[in-house]
Amino acid sequence: MSDNPNTPSTSENQNTAVTTDFGYKQVDKSQKASMVANVFDSVAAKYDVMNDLMSLGIHRLWKRYTIDCSGARAGHKILDIAGGTGDLTAKFSRLVGPTGNVTLADINLSMLTVGRDKLRDRGLISNIDYVQADAEALPFPDNSFDIVTMAFGLRNVTEKQNALNSIYRVLKPGGRLLVLEFSKPTTEQLSKLYDMYSFHVLPKMGQLVANDGESYQYLAESIRMHPDQETLKGMFEKAGFEQCDYKNLTGGIVALHRGYKF
Amino acid sequence: MPASALFSATIERLINQMLSMDPDSAARLKPLAGSRFVIFVTPLPFGIELHFSDRVDVLTTQQPRDALIASLTAADCCIQTSLDTLPTLKDTSQLTRLIQEKKLNLDGELRIAQQVSALFQQLDIDWEEHLAEHTNDVLAHEVFSAGKRMHNTLLTFTRKLSRTVGNAVVEEKQLAAHRLAVMHFNDEVSELRDDVARAEVRLQKLEEQANKN
Ligand SMILES: C[S@@+](CC[C@H](N)C(=O)[O-])C[C@H]1O[C@@H](n2cnc3c(N)ncnc32)[C@H](O)[C@@H]1O
Repeated sequence: MSDNPNTPSTSENQNTAVTTDFGYKQVDKSQKASMVANVFDSVAAKYDVMNDLMSLGIHRLWKRYTIDCSGARAGHKILDIAGGTGDLTAKFSRLVGPTGNVTLADINLSMLTVGRDKLRDRGLISNIDYVQADAEALPFPDNSFDIVTMAFGLRNVTEKQNALNSIYRVLKPGGRLLVLEFSKPTTEQLSKLYDMYSFHVLPKMGQLVANDGESYQYLAESIRMHPDQETLKGMFEKAGFEQCDYKNLTGGIVALHRGYKF
Repeated sequence: MPASALFSATIERLINQMLSMDPDSAARLKPLAGSRFVIFVTPLPFGIELHFSDRVDVLTTQQPRDALIASLTAADCCIQTSLDTLPTLKDTSQLTRLIQEKKLNLDGELRIAQQVSALFQQLDIDWEEHLAEHTNDVLAHEVFSAGKRMHNTLLTFTRKLSRTVGNAVVEEKQLAAHRLAVMHFNDEVSELRDDVARAEVRLQKLEEQANKN
């Protein structure tokens, strides 16, 4: 069960393939976006609680580390794509201050709405824009942002390479992209433990708390189907990013990839 | 787990919690809004950035100090110091001396360092009131009275001690203390021991009382 029945889809390299992965299933490419939308429509309301529960709060530290590596400063323009309920956006909003701006973009309106309400409740209003957008075709002019972040979003995108190309286009020269995403544990033991947790504990937790075991089964599967650290680095380079590197967090369960546009 | 992130999360929580307990801190935060104060403390392997808005966001930076200094703007200040010099920074009047003695390197806006120092130095927290929120008023009052008495006793002792040592240095007294002075010092130490013993008994009683509640 824990063994991955498929290898990551070849669609990363071949945009011409007609099918793509949705967890371990192969689905028609044109269907993936709406299937992913269903998942996030279904989890939106309980998303934050589940995040804390599933990761034992560690996702906050991964996100904090991402912000540490962002170099965000007063006056910066930042795009938080697949920003969901806005954890990164909240902190960026204070860091860039009234002279800067943060755009929280997500393909899913339910997630955006939960995010917007949460940030407004915290009094974060003046320098945040909310945009419903697909990472593969960002609706922003070239060279618009100093920083783009994407946390736990890339694996849900149908054509990941298209998303990276699109992000490259909207980044200003000198700007940087940070992608925080589940990755490949660096040791065999951790990998086994992690498999057990994600395929046995996680869906049950999802069923119990969010009454939605299926979405969390998808989560576990989509993580396994995501390209590993080196493959993703290669995809960054293919999009044109330079000085690309990554840092494994919590033994590679998560990796933070970084690349610059010069 | 990124240890630096855990470190900055803890510091950030602590700072903002303390600031929220002092109603006057908002006024001292205001002029700092939009500024960044970076501290490199040897031997910590990363720099600590304080970003000011209506609260304080704490980030860590892996950037080398030289590169960071090159990125400073008019709203930034960066200091480098060591762990043992850190407590001295509470006193802004010491900044110049520390810089002269090369115990502190400061780049960027000195004004920001002074404002940051004032922000923390002028913290005025009514601990008794905050403890009372979690226990009860009488217990909180007793604990703080006992604490204050103990603090005062220790303060008196350290003052006396530093006066004695200070006199010895300034007046270039003989290194071997006079017999009478030693006797006097011994008396003071016994007095302090009694004070501390009394405070200890008092605290023990309070603890028992608290457990009963
Ligand atoms: C796991 S959530 C992450 C949310 C947030 N960044 C966080 O870290 O908490 C993934 C998000 O990616 C969004 N998403 C999926 N496909 C997307 C796409 N093609 N373009 C933009 N966002 C997408 C989903 O709607 C969802 O909100």
